[in-house]
Amino acid sequence: MMTSRQHLTTNPSSIKTRFAYLFLRNLKRLNKYRPTSSSSRAVYQRYGMIKFAADASMASAVGSRRAWSRATLLKIRNRALNCTFLKRRRIHALRRRRAERKSRNPRQECAFGQANELRRLVPGGEVMDICNLLDETAHYIKCLNTQVQVMRNIVDFYSS
Amino acid sequence: MDMAGKDNLGAEKGNDDPLNFHSPNMSSDWQFIGANLANSSMGSIPTGNPMAASKGDLLEPSSCSSASMVDSFCPANWEQTTHSQNLGFCEINVQHGPSTSNMLGIRTSGLGPIRTGAERTVGIGWTPPNAMLKGGLFLPTASGMLPQSLSQFPADSGFIERAARFSCFSAGNFGDMMNPFSIPESMSPYSRSMASMQGPHRVFSGEGSKTVSGEQYQKIEINVTENPKDVEHGAIEGSPLKNERKTESSMGPHDEPKRCSAVSGNESDEAEFSGGGQEEQSMLEGRGGEPSTKRLGSKKRKRSGQDNEIDQVKGATQQPSEIPKDNAKIQQQGNQNLVSASNRPGGKQGKQGIEASDSPKDEYIHVRARRGQATNSHSLAERVRREKISERMKFLQDLVPGCSKVTGKAVMLDEIINYVQSLQRQVEFLSMKLAAVHPRLDFNIEGLLTKDVLQSRAGPSSLGFPPDMTMPYSLLHSSHPGVIHTVLPGVGNSSDALRRTINSHVTAMSGEYKESTSHVPNVWEDELHNVIHMDFNSGATSALLNGQDIRVSLPQDQMKAEH
Repeated sequence: MMTSRQHLTTNPSSIKTRFAYLFLRNLKRLNKYRPTSSSSRAVYQRYGMIKFAADASMASAVGSRRAWSRATLLKIRNRALNCTFLKRRRIHALRRRRAERKSRNPRQECAFGQANELRRLVPGGEVMDICNLLDETAHYIKCLNTQVQVMRNIVDFYSS
Repeated sequence: MDMAGKDNLGAEKGNDDPLNFHSPNMSSDWQFIGANLANSSMGSIPTGNPMAASKGDLLEPSSCSSASMVDSFCPANWEQTTHSQNLGFCEINVQHGPSTSNMLGIRTSGLGPIRTGAERTVGIGWTPPNAMLKGGLFLPTASGMLPQSLSQFPADSGFIERAARFSCFSAGNFGDMMNPFSIPESMSPYSRSMASMQGPHRVFSGEGSKTVSGEQYQKIEINVTENPKDVEHGAIEGSPLKNERKTESSMGPHDEPKRCSAVSGNESDEAEFSGGGQEEQSMLEGRGGEPSTKRLGSKKRKRSGQDNEIDQVKGATQQPSEIPKDNAKIQQQGNQNLVSASNRPGGKQGKQGIEASDSPKDEYIHVRARRGQATNSHSLAERVRREKISERMKFLQDLVPGCSKVTGKAVMLDEIINYVQSLQRQVEFLSMKLAAVHPRLDFNIEGLLTKDVLQSRAGPSSLGFPPDMTMPYSLLHSSHPGVIHTVLPGVGNSSDALRRTINSHVTAMSGEYKESTSHVPNVWEDELHNVIHMDFNSGATSALLNGQDIRVSLPQDQMKAEH
């Protein structure tokens, strides 16, 4: 644990650095392409875009190494490539397929009843078994922590 | 439609980076990994441009140190716990051995295989992209990891556990065990058993076989943790093993490699063992004890279930033939045993008689039935799964703050779920805040990508930044919904959307955290009072200290933006 934290802060190509870079770039783009109005609706929309950019940047920073990041990137790509109509259809189809796969997947530990809840939280966790799910959750928590850290730093930087 | 178009454009822009990074990466993943395998150097690929920066993810496994490489695959805790298990044993030998130089030899040799073994343990359960890196990367970097791993172990709590457990066993026997190099020729059954356990140390110190010693250590570790009674049964089980001992005495150097390879199916181990086994042969014969590895295996096996594993080993090892023939047989045996096993313990045949260590090059999970447990392949596989899951739960326990005292998988899972939800909400709140702050400021990436952004800033956020990450979570444990709600209506003309979002989040969060395990309830109260009473500017600054205050300050920022 300590080594991973040190790794995050000292390694120049760590997840944190990559995420910070990507996120800031996306924010800059957002700022450039969307009008910077102060209406509540605009702020809310921008909030959605920023949140989306944060998740996308995090997933990009992690790359394809993790199942959850792959799932996020796939979702983004599908979202981008389809218009909303097709997207909804595809999402429903995907969900149906996932449900089938879920029923096929053996759920070995009955003590992990609330693992389904975890599956919903971790992107791409629906089709994983418990073992990999815990795996992905650990990495996901780590990345969420770095995400929160970096975003908080950005907010600090801009509000002071 | 214009807005929709613009939305799509914005989405596209937001997607640009992931798309750019993702699609070429998917195809070039393997190439990069292959290149890294070939180079195994850190700076082989430039990280100057963004594309390379994203591809740096793939490079991470082979870049940096081996510790970071394993980190990129798995959290460091896993390897540490695995190491501590194995090294607990090594450490005890180090402490009590008469010749420290030999001990150090054991230690370093033990570290190598353990390190690689741990990596392989970790590497086994990983997604297919990682599978490519397993064989190539781990072995070359084994030696590089030793200095790092050496420094980690003494402070490991797992090691302390093991040390305590070892000391609990039987002091008398351990007196013998702790002197591996002063092994007398003739011994009592107990001391023989203990001395036989020291066999692998001797062998390994003699030849420095890294991989096998790692396996041996793993065997020993599992053995020792199982049951102190194993020590006694070691003598009882002498009879079926004496056959092997005879064969071993005749074949000497082959036994160690035989058993090890039956366990691991690894050729390189045999080669090394056969080279260095001469020493062991003389020692074992002199002792008149059973071969150590065999004993270890037998100790772990149930008496009735012995036959499974013994047969498998014996079937390949009982002939008094020369080394290559045995090796070939063992290879076949090992291959047969391991043929169906893969990342998941689905292979039933392969599970019998194989222990839960990792051979250097195999991807299989080796399980050996412990004493008193069923040797059914199903239950073995189940046990492997349970162990993996508990291992990961332990690691998650370290990740999630405030979970060290929580026991039980269900409660742990609840905590994990809560923590993940809280982190996700924090991200949402921070993005909300950014959205509010955003329009007033211009982004300058070069200016931002200073250390300030990457690390905590001095000043307002330095007050509690290290605990800051845990503060929101711990504070949420003792959330005071009443206080929050009194603050929020007082803000006044915050936007409906913002307030609804904030309220929904707040109620959801306060509904979740029923525990009262907050660390700093007083600080939280003080902060909230500060936020209420101070003016907006300083309020926003001090509000950044924890997530709750961020939510509170959002309406204030909104007001600032509007005015």
